[in-house]
Amino acid sequence: MSSRPVKKALGFLRSGRVLVGAALVGIVLFSALFAPILAPHDPQEQNLVATLVPPVWSVDGDPTYLLGTDSLGRDVLSRLLHGARVAMTVAVLASLGAMLVGATLAHLGGYFGGKLDWLIGRAVDVWMSFPPVVLSLVLMTGLGAGISSVILAIVLVDWTRFCRVLRAEVLVTRHQDYVAAARLVGFSHWRTLTREILPATLPLLITLLSIEMGIAVIVEAILSFVGMSVGANQSAWGQMIADARQTIYESGWNLLLPMLAIFFTVLGFNLLGDGLRRTLDPRLLQAREL
Amino acid sequence: MNTSVLAAENLAVESRLREGRRLPVLAGISFTLEAGKVLGLVGESGAGKSMIGRAVAQLLPPGFAVAGGALAFAGRDLVGMATQERRALLGREIAFIPQEPLSALNPVMTIGAQFGEHLARLGISSEARQREEARAMLEAVHLPRATELLRQFPHELSGGMCQRVLIAMAFASKPKLVIADEPTTALDATIQARIIALMDEMRHAYGASLLFITHDLRLAANFCDEILVLYAGRAVEKGEARELLSAPLHPYTRCLQLAVPSLSAPARELFTLPGEMPGLTTLQTLAGCRFAPRCPNAGEICRKEEPKLLAAAQGGEAACFRTELTLKIKTGDQAAPAMPKITAPLLLVEKIQKRYRSRHGLFGKTEVLAIDEVSFALAENEFVGVVGESGSGKSTLAKLIIGLEPPSAGRIELCGSDALDRSETARRRRIETAQMVFQDPQSALNPRRRVASIVTQVLEAAAPRLPPDERKRRAAELLAEVGLSAELAARYPSQLSGGQKQRVNIARALCAAPKLLIADEIVSGLDVSVQAQLIALLRRLRSELSFALLFISHDLAVVRKLCERVLVMRHGKVVEQGNTKDVFGAPQHPYTRELLAASGG
Repeated sequence: MSSRPVKKALGFLRSGRVLVGAALVGIVLFSALFAPILAPHDPQEQNLVATLVPPVWSVDGDPTYLLGTDSLGRDVLSRLLHGARVAMTVAVLASLGAMLVGATLAHLGGYFGGKLDWLIGRAVDVWMSFPPVVLSLVLMTGLGAGISSVILAIVLVDWTRFCRVLRAEVLVTRHQDYVAAARLVGFSHWRTLTREILPATLPLLITLLSIEMGIAVIVEAILSFVGMSVGANQSAWGQMIADARQTIYESGWNLLLPMLAIFFTVLGFNLLGDGLRRTLDPRLLQAREL
Repeated sequence: MNTSVLAAENLAVESRLREGRRLPVLAGISFTLEAGKVLGLVGESGAGKSMIGRAVAQLLPPGFAVAGGALAFAGRDLVGMATQERRALLGREIAFIPQEPLSALNPVMTIGAQFGEHLARLGISSEARQREEARAMLEAVHLPRATELLRQFPHELSGGMCQRVLIAMAFASKPKLVIADEPTTALDATIQARIIALMDEMRHAYGASLLFITHDLRLAANFCDEILVLYAGRAVEKGEARELLSAPLHPYTRCLQLAVPSLSAPARELFTLPGEMPGLTTLQTLAGCRFAPRCPNAGEICRKEEPKLLAAAQGGEAACFRTELTLKIKTGDQAAPAMPKITAPLLLVEKIQKRYRSRHGLFGKTEVLAIDEVSFALAENEFVGVVGESGSGKSTLAKLIIGLEPPSAGRIELCGSDALDRSETARRRRIETAQMVFQDPQSALNPRRRVASIVTQVLEAAAPRLPPDERKRRAAELLAEVGLSAELAARYPSQLSGGQKQRVNIARALCAAPKLLIADEIVSGLDVSVQAQLIALLRRLRSELSFALLFISHDLAVVRKLCERVLVMRHGKVVEQGNTKDVFGAPQHPYTRELLAASGG
């Protein structure tokens, strides 16, 4: 009897999307955490004798540089691994920040309604009418380059995504009788919000968080591509793409490898998010049980 | 010549599960519906009555299929029929009247467009003729201003009007057979009576046979020629309608009959059937008669062998070994409720009003007076009923008293203190004094909490640091009080039946030991046997715990059963109030009389 809800809670592990997504994200996360140990070279170490070495599987490959070197003779594998650190830092911190701002406002607005809700709703409307890329570039110009600015810019641009979607979910839950019942048995607003409403919106929150992490990876890549993210002494995937642009005809792999890294990371987050949505959303759950 | 319109012979429907397992849902269902007659299929939810209607339409839900037996329409086999041929029959010779009139109509098409589409399918292609035919049909179902109606959208019509439109559409093809699946369940009592009368008139005018699916035995007995009673996928009794109601052969039918409160008969105890209908999976392990575990007459043989539907000496058929005992099931006369001592009023409502503003367009504004100068008092330990049709303001009244919404004007006093005081201490006091039981148990229970946690929510709010053991103990106490077994404490609401959910709902409200309980339609939408159990529960709790009850219901018979005093509401006003006996015995207001006539049956 008690095993059923447990099985239900762990049901998401059976979904193929979640498994593949989690595996991809897990690999990237692992690389990021252990980059200093895993990387065979210092990512900034230049070897001007061995520039543009192709990956090891090509004819001219060199086993010391498994994925080859770039135009300055830096080891591509090491740079990719260290790039994952930047990507993951931004992904986790920026999406958590955006979630915190967006979800808080969504819950307050949706729960209390009235003037507060109106105010938050209009703020979201105005905010969303700016093109996001332009907005983040403007913000970056104001904040100056650097990884913390990238995080702040993403938080400031993307909180609206959480706010709008979650507010609708809060509204639906708010009108359930059990929320009114909780107030009637004496729950404070805070307790009602955290014990009755938040558990109902949590699945959506987790899903949005996962998707937002993928978006954050792309935004970070764009900003480091135009040189507004980390400095030249650190490696980031967008920066690697920008560098490899000049030698695209000599060494296509230099361009392709960071692109593949971005692609699989974002794919992983999206699969994870989509899979979680399918397994955690109670409405979809009910439809399947019928 | 064969006069049977619809004949089922040993019909069986099964559910096919993923692992290749098959569960029989219906088995051995046989009946014949003669031309021009009405056959009632009666049973509680889960009995399988709707499955029969769906089998005729071949609209079984996914995973269900006809497993055996025959189903014939006018001598033609419906089960093996080619899709093409069946499609030609459905909607033409076999018509349907659905349960939810509003969701059966397309909200974005006018009535005229939908009617026209239906008539086009019937072969009337010219639009002018479609309009003419539609108008004639709408007039036949006594809808006024038919021409205007054709240009309106479904949301502009009331539920009763929508149902009339659907009846008009069903009869437009002059069908031989009309299948009505709970056509009046979603409607108010007064409208229900009119719709039944209309269906009767239409079937006579068009010479159609009717398959009437309902959970209401009394309604079926009044309207049908013959009745088939279903229990857990088996036919348990078949017979001539009036005889079946007056002298049932099967104990289940008898229990159904005794579980429904009556408006006219002398007050007697309702029969409470223990437990509930077993689910599909438990049924498989059950040997013998499916009703045996709940049957008051069950004997040795009932638990071993499954009875067959056999003709009884006095006419009718029943699947029971001990039919001679059935009429011995009796309930005692109801002890007159001890009239409560009228003390200082617990609840005092004075001239409250509730206005809702609705805005349309930029400047348009309309005001709706949902509650209009309602005043009444409620003494300690008194049970007061509030009756009226939907839209009469009953539920709004409950919300105002409990404080979910503020009234626009007027005064509400609880235990002598102002209930409209917004301060935190006043709120605390109100929580300890008054509690509410919500209408929809589905929405009223947080699906993510376990039962034990739901029923002790009051403790969670009042003393968040209470040790878990203490809470568990209180939860067990409350569950015992409302007659639920302690093992349910660890379940989630989705694992409970409707009746169990409503008991949990009541237990939560009782946790604070309130002096006033407000119950909003808590027995509507439940099966009669469950309804009788809940009424018995409220009466027992009253003697054990002593609290006052404001019982909101559209069911007059239930209110008569439970309450000493009654308020009759219409359009936000109390049109009549007084002792239940006086109001129902000698109604003064014409509206009360109308309500009584409609639900008298």
